[in-house]
Amino acid sequence: MGEHLARSDEVPARHALSHARLVRQIVSPGRRISAVSAELIILVLLIATALAFDFTNGFHDTGNAMATSIATGALKPKTAVLLAGVLNLVGAFLSVEVAVTVTTSVLKVQDSKTGALIPGIDASTGLTIIFAGLIGGILWNLLTWLFGIPSSSSHALFGGLIGAGLAALGLAGVNWSGVSSKVLIPAIAAPVIACLVAAGGTWLVYRITRNVVESRRREGFRWGQIATASLVALSHGTNDAQKTMGVIALALITTGHLTGDVKENGLPFWIIFSCAVAIGLGTYLGGWRVIRTLGKGLVEIDSPQGFAAEASSAAIILSSSAAGMALSTTHVATGSILGSGVGKPGAQVRWAVAGRMAVAWLITLPAAGLVGALSYWLSDAVKSLTNSPLAGDGLIFLVLVGLSFYMWWRAQQQKVDSTNVNADWDSSTNSVVPADVREAAKESKPTASV
Amino acid sequence: MTYFESIFKVLVVGLILGAGLPAVFASGLVAYSNGAGGQHADGTVVAPNPMLKYLGVALFVFVGWVILTAVLWITRTTIIHHTGIDLFPFMPKK
Repeated sequence: MGEHLARSDEVPARHALSHARLVRQIVSPGRRISAVSAELIILVLLIATALAFDFTNGFHDTGNAMATSIATGALKPKTAVLLAGVLNLVGAFLSVEVAVTVTTSVLKVQDSKTGALIPGIDASTGLTIIFAGLIGGILWNLLTWLFGIPSSSSHALFGGLIGAGLAALGLAGVNWSGVSSKVLIPAIAAPVIACLVAAGGTWLVYRITRNVVESRRREGFRWGQIATASLVALSHGTNDAQKTMGVIALALITTGHLTGDVKENGLPFWIIFSCAVAIGLGTYLGGWRVIRTLGKGLVEIDSPQGFAAEASSAAIILSSSAAGMALSTTHVATGSILGSGVGKPGAQVRWAVAGRMAVAWLITLPAAGLVGALSYWLSDAVKSLTNSPLAGDGLIFLVLVGLSFYMWWRAQQQKVDSTNVNADWDSSTNSVVPADVREAAKESKPTASV
Repeated sequence: MTYFESIFKVLVVGLILGAGLPAVFASGLVAYSNGAGGQHADGTVVAPNPMLKYLGVALFVFVGWVILTAVLWITRTTIIHHTGIDLFPFMPKK
């Protein structure tokens, strides 16, 4: 007992000491020990930011798997997001192949074999590039979510990283051939392939079952829909959580907290666990605005269409990863849903909504890149003024928190959730917010509109 | 051009699995529904036919088997990692 007390007294004392050192560092820079403490704080902030990105990745993409099942009533909204959340969680644990070199496809900051920073880039610059890249990704994800636009989370992350890389290292810092082969070409190919496959599937399904009684047909396809949607959710967990794990691993390698061959030995369990939980919780939260656009805005979906769309998504996501050309889940899912509208005789596709999405896809990379670059410059400017990397990275972290909170608050003003996700789509405005919610918001505050 | 080759590959496999399988499932539904008897969408009434019903179930089982294979495909690196068994030895390594 006495020993225990003594020990617990000791800990705060040690803590206070390191804090004093840190303060001294900020006042008189250049001492090594304090630099290490500042770096540690930046590392913790960066990991928190990476997990926040993973979380937005989850809730932004819930709709890819579950929007059609929710729209056709195959699953209740809450059940659907719970199922998707659990499958994403499980999927994240299933991926043992760690994407340690996640940045190498777009940037030239990392050795493509060991995952370490390439010589010539110091740890502080490396951390700020990753930090600024994550901020670009998160802010773009939140903005598109606010408008209910399903855009690719991977593109947002890559865009942010490219922007930060350009700002820090110039044109030479970007892996241009990687950008075109791993980001640009798949982005054009994915929706086209998905649209063709889903249109073919939908047409066949309607053609074959044209004589089956409507109630039996609906019931039968609902089961098919749940199975295929689950497959999409599981593969999303295995693919997307890896990217965040890779980013965290890079940060830990940069600061020297993670050494050895990560590909061979795997990652520390806490990284896998925290990424799995973040993406699972994010998915469960459900990006209702995106779900609503995918399920109600693009096409009025019936269960045979939903089934054909998810079957097409699952088949393309799996076969593309087998072919070594991982396509964005979002691009595939959106293309499939569009295709299910094209393939059903007499169905209406809201091309205005599809067009708005296409524009958002085109500007995802540059917009996230711009935010990434601005974040890097801001951090770098503060760093050179105060001579403290912590001040720079801390400031952009605070900016991120502030802007994220603002967008969340804006969304709360005109809320879309599990209760109104399937409300009728207003074709006159094509707004993701249901007409009655808009009206209510207008009455209480005449200027508010999303 | 390797990109276009893999895009083409994905399109072909996607059409076979992504459109073909739903068609198989739909055929199963037709067989099962006809086998169960009752009224059609066009108003004609048919007698129950157990053979057709079994055919429908067989087609559902086939689709289920393909989905199970797909799940094993997603998790194959994990399975190799923990048990050393490669369920898809004929496929290229990721």
